[in-house]
Amino acid sequence: MRLLVVEDDVAIQAFLKRALVESGYQVDTANNAKTGELKALEGIYDAFIIDLGLPDLDGLDLIVRCRAQGISAPVLILSARRSVDERVRGLEQGGDDYLTKPFAIAELVARLRNLLRRSSPAQNDSVRLQAADLQLDLVRHEARRGEHLLQLTPQEFSLLEYLCRNAGRVVTRTMILDHVWQMRIDPSTNVVDVHIYRLRSKVDHNTPVPLIHTIRGVGYVLKHA
Amino acid sequence: MAFAFGTGLAFSIVYLLVANAIQERSDAWLSGEAEVLARVSADTPKDHLYNRIVGEVAELATQELPDQRNASGQRLNSVFFLESNPNSNENPLWVGPGSYDAFLSAIQRTKFVPGIPQSITVEGWPTTFRVVARNENGRMIYMGLSNRGARHLLRTLTRRFLLLWGSTVLMGFLITYLSARRTLLRVQRITDTVAGIGSEDLGERLPEPINSDEISRLAKTFNHMLDRIQSSVNELRSVTDSIAHDLKSPLTSIRGALESALSSEPNEKWRDSVGDAIEGVDRLLSALDTTLDVAEAQAGALRLDRSMVDLSAAVQQLVNLYHPAMDERHHELVVDLEDHVVVDADWSLLNRVLSNLIENEIAHLPMGCQITIRLRSREGSAELVIEDNGPGFPPEISKRAFERFVRGKHSHGHGLGLAFVDAIARAHGGTAKISDGPAGGAVVTLSLPANVLHPA
Repeated sequence: MRLLVVEDDVAIQAFLKRALVESGYQVDTANNAKTGELKALEGIYDAFIIDLGLPDLDGLDLIVRCRAQGISAPVLILSARRSVDERVRGLEQGGDDYLTKPFAIAELVARLRNLLRRSSPAQNDSVRLQAADLQLDLVRHEARRGEHLLQLTPQEFSLLEYLCRNAGRVVTRTMILDHVWQMRIDPSTNVVDVHIYRLRSKVDHNTPVPLIHTIRGVGYVLKHA
Repeated sequence: MAFAFGTGLAFSIVYLLVANAIQERSDAWLSGEAEVLARVSADTPKDHLYNRIVGEVAELATQELPDQRNASGQRLNSVFFLESNPNSNENPLWVGPGSYDAFLSAIQRTKFVPGIPQSITVEGWPTTFRVVARNENGRMIYMGLSNRGARHLLRTLTRRFLLLWGSTVLMGFLITYLSARRTLLRVQRITDTVAGIGSEDLGERLPEPINSDEISRLAKTFNHMLDRIQSSVNELRSVTDSIAHDLKSPLTSIRGALESALSSEPNEKWRDSVGDAIEGVDRLLSALDTTLDVAEAQAGALRLDRSMVDLSAAVQQLVNLYHPAMDERHHELVVDLEDHVVVDADWSLLNRVLSNLIENEIAHLPMGCQITIRLRSREGSAELVIEDNGPGFPPEISKRAFERFVRGKHSHGHGLGLAFVDAIARAHGGTAKISDGPAGGAVVTLSLPANVLHPA
C-alpha cells in the first residue's frame, strides 16, 4: 500500500511518515499542494493524507482538483480548524474521512485502515471473532476464554468486541468512546479506564497470560503477550 | 379622537355664532317692523278704519319675509301682530295665525321692556316666539316672529355637520388605523427577521425600503448593527481559529514525536514519563478547546450543528458510560428520566455538557454519596436536574460558579466545566443554574427549550 502525505509542517510530516512506515505502508510526502497534485496525478497511490492548511492552496481545493482529474483513491483529511467545514462534511459522506489535530497515531492508522478497506472489495463480516484463546460469538453475544464462559454486560461485550476487532493494534480512549458509546466527548475522569478494569478483571481473571494491556498515554491493546 | 373633539368644539362655536346672528337679524327686523307699525298706528286716526289700515300694514309686514316652507308645505315664518289697549275692553287688533287667545295670555305672563325683544312660549306652538313690544300712547303693540325658521335652519346645519363630521371622523379613524397597521406590520417584519437571525447565520439582513421614514431608518440601523456584530463575530472566529491552528500544529508534532518515542523506547520508566507527557498534552489541548468554545459561545459566535436530539436517550447513554465510574466511588445513582424528551440542539456539544455535569459530581463528591439525575419536560422546555447529598458548592464559588477558571480550593479541574455548561446552555437558548439542595447537597439545573415533546 502506497500513501501520499501532503503536509507543510515538517515535524508532523516526519512523525507521520515514521509511524506509517512502521505500520507497513510505503509513504511519500509533499510540502505543498502543487507538489502534492503533481505526485497524486502519477496515479500510484492507494490513499492520501492531506492537511487542510497548506501554504499555496486549501487542502479541500487540492482534493477537488485531484477528483476532477480522475484520482479516486480515498482521502484522510487533517484539520487544525476548530469546527468542521460543511465541505469537509460533504467529503466525509463521499467516502473520505477527516481527523482534527492533534490526533493519536493509533487513531490515524485505524481510520486509514478503514478507508482502505472501504475502497477495496468488502470482506466477509464474520459472526465469530478470535484472539488467542478468546472467542466471541457475535450472534449469541457470548464470550469465552478457553472453555470458560465470561459473564459480561452488554456494554462490556461491545467493548471487548471492539478491542478484539482491533486485536494487536492500539486503540485510544477517544476511539473507544466513539465506537462503543457513539460519543465524541473528552472526559477528564478515568471513566473509560474503569470500564477496561472491569472487563479485564473478567477476561484476564485467573489466567497466567493477560490479553488486555494498557499503553500509558495512548490507550489499550488486546494482544497475546 | 382629538380630531373628533376639536371639530366638535369648532362646530359648537360656529353653531352659537350662527344662532346669534340669526337672532340678531330677526330681532332687528322685528324691531324695525314694530317701529313702522307703531308709527302707522300713531299716525292713523282712531276711527273705524283704523283697524283695517293697521291690519293691512301688519299683514304686509308678515308677508315681507321670504316664504320659507318645509317639506310638508307648512309655513315656517309665522309672524303675528297684536295691538291691545289694556285700558279698554275692546278686542285687540290681531294679525297672525289662528286665534290670539294663547298669544295674549303668553304675552300677559311676560314682562316686556318696550323695544327689547323677548322670547315667549305660546301654548300649542312647538317653538318659541321672539316678541318685541312697543307702547304707543297706552296702546301696546306686539310684533312676534316664530323661531321655527331659525330652528329649522340650525337643525339643517347641525344635521349636515353631523353627517360631514361623522364621515370625516370615520375616515380619519380608518386612515389612522390602516397606516398604523401598515407601520406595525413593518415593525413586526423587522422583529421577525431580527429574531430569526441566529448566531449561526448572521448573513441575513432586513430589507431597506427606498423611502426614508423612521421605520426604514430603524431597519438601516439594525442592519448596521448586524454588520458590526457579524464583523466582530467573524473576527473572533478567525482569532480563535488561528489560536487553535498556531497552538495545535506544534502540539500535534510534540504529541506525535512523543507517541513515536513511546513505541520505540524499551525502557519502561521512560515510557511512563512519555505517557505522562502525552496525557499532559491532551489535557492542555482539551482546556484550550473548551476555553475557545466558551469564548465563542459567550460572544454568540459558536457554530451550532443542530438536530433533533432525544435528550432522554443521550442522558441514558451517559449514565451507562459513567455508571461503573460512580460505582467505584460507591455512589448510589438514582436515574429518573421521562421518555422521549426531544430538544433541537448540537448533539456533540450537548454530550460534552452532560458529561461535564456528571464528571463534576464524580470529581467533587466524597465517597458514598447519592446522586439523582432527573429529566422532565415542562411547558416548552426540557429540565435536567442533577442533585446530590454531598457537601454542596463551596461558599467561595457558589456565586461565581459559571465564570471561567473559577474553581473550589480542593478542585482538580481547570475550572472551565460549569462555564462551558452555562455558555452552551445559553447558546441553545437555555439556562444553567446551581443551588443548594434541601438537604444541603448541590443541585444543578439545566433547562433547554424543547421543540417537540413526545414524538410518535
